[in-house]
Amino acid sequence: MKKSPQQEKLEALLKSSKFSMCGFMGDDKRNLWEVIDTDATAIEKLGKKQEEIAARMQHLTDLAASGLGDWVQVGKNLQVSADDNRGMIPCPWPHHKRCLKRITTARHSATGRTIRWSDLNIHLIKEHGFFEGRGSPFRIEPQELVKIIFCE
Amino acid sequence: MTLSSHMIHLMVILFASIFTDNILLARFLGMCSFLAVSRQVKTAVGLGLAVVFVMTCTVALDWLAYRYILQPYQIEYFRFILFIVIIAAFVQFIEMVIERYSPVLYQNLGIFLPLITVNCAILGASLFMVIREYTLLEGIFFGLGSGIGWMLAIVAMAGIREKLTHARIPKGLQGPGITLIIAGLMALAFIGFTGVLSGG
Amino acid sequence: MGTTAVAIFIISGVGAFLATLLVFAERVITNYGDIEIDINSGEKKFTVKGGGSLLETLNAQKIFIPSACGGRGTCAYCKVRVTEGAGSLLPTEEPYMNAQERAEGIRLSCQVKVRNALKIQIPESLFAIKEYVCVCEKITDYTYDMKQFNLKLVDPPTIKYTPGQYIQFLAPAYEGSPEEVYRAYSISSDPADKSTIELIVRRVPDGICTTYLFDHLKEGDRVKINGPYGQFLLRDTSVPIIFIAGGSGVAPIKCMLHEMKNAGNTRKAIFFFGVRTTKDLFLIDEMKNFEKELAHFTFVPAVSQPEEGSNWQGVTGRVTNVAEDYLKKQSDAKEYEGYLCGSPGMIDSSIRVLTACGIPEEKIYYDKFS
Repeated sequence: MKKSPQQEKLEALLKSSKFSMCGFMGDDKRNLWEVIDTDATAIEKLGKKQEEIAARMQHLTDLAASGLGDWVQVGKNLQVSADDNRGMIPCPWPHHKRCLKRITTARHSATGRTIRWSDLNIHLIKEHGFFEGRGSPFRIEPQELVKIIFCE
Repeated sequence: MTLSSHMIHLMVILFASIFTDNILLARFLGMCSFLAVSRQVKTAVGLGLAVVFVMTCTVALDWLAYRYILQPYQIEYFRFILFIVIIAAFVQFIEMVIERYSPVLYQNLGIFLPLITVNCAILGASLFMVIREYTLLEGIFFGLGSGIGWMLAIVAMAGIREKLTHARIPKGLQGPGITLIIAGLMALAFIGFTGVLSGG
Repeated sequence: MGTTAVAIFIISGVGAFLATLLVFAERVITNYGDIEIDINSGEKKFTVKGGGSLLETLNAQKIFIPSACGGRGTCAYCKVRVTEGAGSLLPTEEPYMNAQERAEGIRLSCQVKVRNALKIQIPESLFAIKEYVCVCEKITDYTYDMKQFNLKLVDPPTIKYTPGQYIQFLAPAYEGSPEEVYRAYSISSDPADKSTIELIVRRVPDGICTTYLFDHLKEGDRVKINGPYGQFLLRDTSVPIIFIAGGSGVAPIKCMLHEMKNAGNTRKAIFFFGVRTTKDLFLIDEMKNFEKELAHFTFVPAVSQPEEGSNWQGVTGRVTNVAEDYLKKQSDAKEYEGYLCGSPGMIDSSIRVLTACGIPEEKIYYDKFS
């Protein structure tokens, strides 16, 4: 099926490596809507909503940011830290959204598992339901994410 | 034929091509872009306007080419090639003009123009014009009506699909599946107009 | 036979006619001719060939407008004020403009096409921006994620900049990153040496440019930079200075300290340098040297979470708290000028601390990593 020009432009931007290494799509061969649909189904199975996940991520990032790079204890099992990097990264969707290159790392102390996300990841999940394509360095696996950030 | 009855005849052609003989929903021409570019009303309106404009102009150009080039030499069987070449050249030309003189219009509409070259509804309208032996004026009204009819259908579809984003659609039917079902239902509704007006 | 030949002839003729018409139309319609661009009301004028985007046209005239996305209309860095001749705002620009910018005629220069005479306004400082070809002279490892790069300028051979400014580094395409990208880094070198640019860079996890710098760039390689940019400058006053920096934020401050040393500046200055663990500490010896060479300079490294068994003898605590404790003990705390460089979080809390100690906000200068 032919794609609309807007969609083509968006997919080209997502594949472009101007902003994010390997592009937001990584080496994923699926098209954008397939990626989004698959992850939406995955989080539905986990009983979560994308807004809920994004809100939790934002909350953890805010807590971590107050630590200025140090580990901050959240609840019993979770530690988070946020790390700022120079520059801003724009959202590839056609609206003016730029995020700090802040990377939050969450560590589950019992299992030692960690997961990291950038401020842009939060925005992409909240507004676009996009967890990035497989092979992208900032791809987030919904199951893994939910397991860590919603742990008790 | 008096002037007013002539006017009425043209109006009949116009409205017939919009409603009873809708090129998209009664003839199923131009389905590809109809399915692909009907996600949002805004883009559907853009593409629809481009189709209205191009269809009206190309029907007129093709009529002239048919009447003054193909008919005199009795090579009507070349109309497919000639019409397509004329449509392609016209779209290219219009794209250049719009880009040069109206960047805003170009941004809104220009990106749809290349899509239109391969829209079978445009060629279809020119071929119907030949089959039905329209005069130039009739042809123009027919092209205009067909374009408006196509736009009406795609905008209606985009409106429905925008609402559909809030609906729970079974997974297997999402995307093209549900769109085709809706197109079928819309076509049924339009077929209800059959016989109300007869433009041919 | 005859009719077939005629038919073929006619159809080919029509095709050829339309093709000629299009070629001719393209010549006439897309030829914008020579167009005059007027910068800052007559300060600079040049005549260019129309048809290209304003961004690339200015670039060709050696005027560098910052841009990160390569003319795709996404990064919105390339904003320029066009007072005449740009036409109305394009749909591709709309999302990036607020009401005030619309009223002022701010445009994305990558989207504006040069089609008729243009009058534009750009900041004076952009004229000084040039592109430099350099050779990577030396790479120094500081910590596990911090390196220093010394770039020797080749063409042009010297650069003029004010301490505190930054340059944009062009990372060429490499495996895993098929497009070239620009990223900004502060200059940390001694401004007396006009032929070298020194950068202190911290590795960004999976960052395009830092991955290039850390894993691909080798000594002797040719690279391109452009600059200088930025307004984070040392003000010419005599009041005491408090510097606060974290991580690679030390770079512009090191540059300022060189400048103070070169000028024999005797201002009282204290520099709080915050890191997380002792492993993150670097440049300690250089800073100790500045303490010796500058009349009234003190260097205070602060480690917020020293590892167990690291035997850290210095100050422990968050850099903002350490700076606060110091200022509270100063009777003239209100007199200080604050210079901050680091993450937005660190800068925001530093501003809170400094203003709480009575330093007016307009006396606090900073370079947020953004």
